[in-house]
Amino acid sequence: MHWIRIERYWEGEFPEVKVKFRPVLCQQCDDAPCEPVCPTYASSHSEEGLNSQIYNRCIGTRYCANACGYNVRFFNFFTPSWDKPLHLQLNPDVSVREGGVMEKCTFCIQRINAGKVSAGIQQRPLMDGEIQPACVQSCTANALVFGDLADPDSMVSKLANSPRGTKLLEELGTKPKITYLQQGSWDDSQNR
Amino acid sequence: MTRKTDNSLTTDLLRPVLETSTKFYVTVAVLALIVATGFSTWFYQIYWGMGVTGDNWPVYWGLHETNFVFWIGISHAGTLISAILRIVNATWRRPVTRCAEVITAFALMIGAMFPLIHLGRPWLAWWLIPYPSERMLWPNYRSPLVWDFFAINTYLLSSLLFLALPAIPDFALIRDRTTGWRNWFYGKLSMGWQGTPKQWHRLESAMHIMALAIIPIAISVHTIVSFDFSMAVVPMWHSTIFGPYFVVGAIFSGIAALIIVMAVIRKTLHLEKYLQPIHFQNLGKLMLAMSLLWGYFVFNERLVTWYGNTPHEMAALWSTQMGRYSPMFWTMIFCNFILPFPLLTIRKLRSITTAVIASCGVVIGMWLERFLIIVPSLSYKGTPYSWGTYMPRWPELVIFGSSFAAMALLYLLFSKFIPIISIWEMKVGEHPQIKVAAKVQEAEAAGDLV
Amino acid sequence: MKAIYGLFTTPELAQQAVDGLRAAGVPEREITIQSSEPMEEYEFGSRDRETIMPWNAVLGGTIGLAAGYLLTSTTQQSWPITTGGMPIVTNWSNLIIIFELTMLGAVFASVITLLFSARLPGRLPKLYDAEVSEGKILIGVSNPKEVAQVEHALRGSTGGVRKL
Repeated sequence: MHWIRIERYWEGEFPEVKVKFRPVLCQQCDDAPCEPVCPTYASSHSEEGLNSQIYNRCIGTRYCANACGYNVRFFNFFTPSWDKPLHLQLNPDVSVREGGVMEKCTFCIQRINAGKVSAGIQQRPLMDGEIQPACVQSCTANALVFGDLADPDSMVSKLANSPRGTKLLEELGTKPKITYLQQGSWDDSQNR
Repeated sequence: MTRKTDNSLTTDLLRPVLETSTKFYVTVAVLALIVATGFSTWFYQIYWGMGVTGDNWPVYWGLHETNFVFWIGISHAGTLISAILRIVNATWRRPVTRCAEVITAFALMIGAMFPLIHLGRPWLAWWLIPYPSERMLWPNYRSPLVWDFFAINTYLLSSLLFLALPAIPDFALIRDRTTGWRNWFYGKLSMGWQGTPKQWHRLESAMHIMALAIIPIAISVHTIVSFDFSMAVVPMWHSTIFGPYFVVGAIFSGIAALIIVMAVIRKTLHLEKYLQPIHFQNLGKLMLAMSLLWGYFVFNERLVTWYGNTPHEMAALWSTQMGRYSPMFWTMIFCNFILPFPLLTIRKLRSITTAVIASCGVVIGMWLERFLIIVPSLSYKGTPYSWGTYMPRWPELVIFGSSFAAMALLYLLFSKFIPIISIWEMKVGEHPQIKVAAKVQEAEAAGDLV
Repeated sequence: MKAIYGLFTTPELAQQAVDGLRAAGVPEREITIQSSEPMEEYEFGSRDRETIMPWNAVLGGTIGLAAGYLLTSTTQQSWPITTGGMPIVTNWSNLIIIFELTMLGAVFASVITLLFSARLPGRLPKLYDAEVSEGKILIGVSNPKEVAQVEHALRGSTGGVRKL
């Protein structure tokens, strides 16, 4: 199953039908409900603030997926296999998960690591917008913005503090990192 | 005042151990076949993957977890009957205690299999055992599943000891009455028990302490099983009522299972003299009390949810009251509440048969209750786009059915090797405690003492 | 001879025999009493009552408590990870593990005390008769000194006084 999904909601009767949609992916919560319930620390918090899913530690209890209020965790019910030559499509930077293991969006941890490595080689700090997860890169409308929330000058920090910003299912108390920006009013010229 | 020879009691209660009929062998063979089918289905599931079950996004827990909670719930029979009645010195408990403790031990073993069965990678389940490793990683003690591991193992060990210790005098009895392999076997099991006053005192002290200890353990076990649900912020799971709700439900289903098992062994092992209608009546009264208590908790939980009217929870609630899961819900209310009530209250209707009918209803109803706690909440969790459904598939149903066969098989084998009614406790029951001083006076007056 | 004993059908007769043996000068420790059920309501069945088992249970519970506390708090710090925003050493949830290990400690301590004080597992002593299991009470003396007096005290035995 896809780690990011576009949720579509229809309003109204034909012919005045409106569709609202919203991409939902792992919110990388600060107080992630999926983390304390994993018996083997497979779902744990990295020092950078990501919720990491460590495939090797997962024994497949699926408790994290039940605790996740966003339903963004997916279980490998079968061990996947690809007939040759389709196995060549697999990204060599991404582990292939075996059956019985949970998985979810990692914010393209392989791209984050690649960015950190190349910045480290060049001995310079990471630039804002240098790392782009696959979903951010492929969005043709530039609707997704990724960056360092700890850096107050980054685009994502500024947008996250926008008055148009809301969090998904905020009442659950999970402190999700993803901010959804609603349609703005006429004097929001400073914000995209 | 002579003591009547206890021979008839001993003979009756030892007969199932010493004599075996063809029916026994046939039943064991059939049950073993069903259990073997269950195990093969489990291996099939391990080989092909969890996908052969009906679990799917977003309902990741289904029949296996329902069965887990169900069997752990059944295991609460022994504790209530044995420990609490022991402590309050209720004498009618004597023929019932070992039957109940056996249910606890085996229901726990079967229930403890299900956390293994539901794992995606069960061959790594040993990671839940705390042991030092080079990775410096230990189990996550914050996780309710690790709490389950500790609680269920503690309860299992304590229950097995609680069952094994009072069996020692009965093993000695069999040792003294048999020859050949039985004499050797029970001689080893009885560990040289002679029955000196010192040994009796120590045994009774140990039983008393364990009875006191096992009650809080049992309450904690099913509370911790309830924490598997209430610790997640899922609609209708994240409720503080889950702890006592589950414990009451467990005791409720445990008593029902006990009544059914007692009726079966009464018939098949010809124990009509020892398991009398009064025992079923008393257990029936307890079950009625539990039915009322259970009904109170269900009403409490649902009233609060309905009154709060949060959109987060209402979809899950309405699905059980009027929606997809409502047939199961109303069947559950009928089985747990409406059916047992007249059968257990109206004097004319009270009999062993009606107690068994009510108990069968309760067992079905409590299984449905576990299912209805788990599945509707997971179906209606999170944003409506991500709601889903669940339908069990044959591997889960086969494993479910074979768990009952496993219980029957283990129980049958137990009753073959160990008397199912505690013989020495029955003997004590037949000769109630008398004040020593009064006895001495009586004897002096009669001129018996020189 | 190694032992003299009698089998008594009622506890009253057994009490009589024990009193007789005491009168004959047999020390308390050398009187063997065996029965197929506890006879606590009679004087002969109520000796050796004091036991340190409850205290041992408390001790076992304390050990379990300490073990639970040490296990959870030290291992949680060996590779410190915060999960779900909770602290690294979560004492509220560790209480559950601590509780279970406390109770387990109490239970184990009771069972171990039982095994040691009741001398289990052990070999069946020479002075034992399988008729005890039929409901009779065995009162006997091993290596008796005053044989005639012992025999007189045990005269209420069913089927006469037995000798080993």
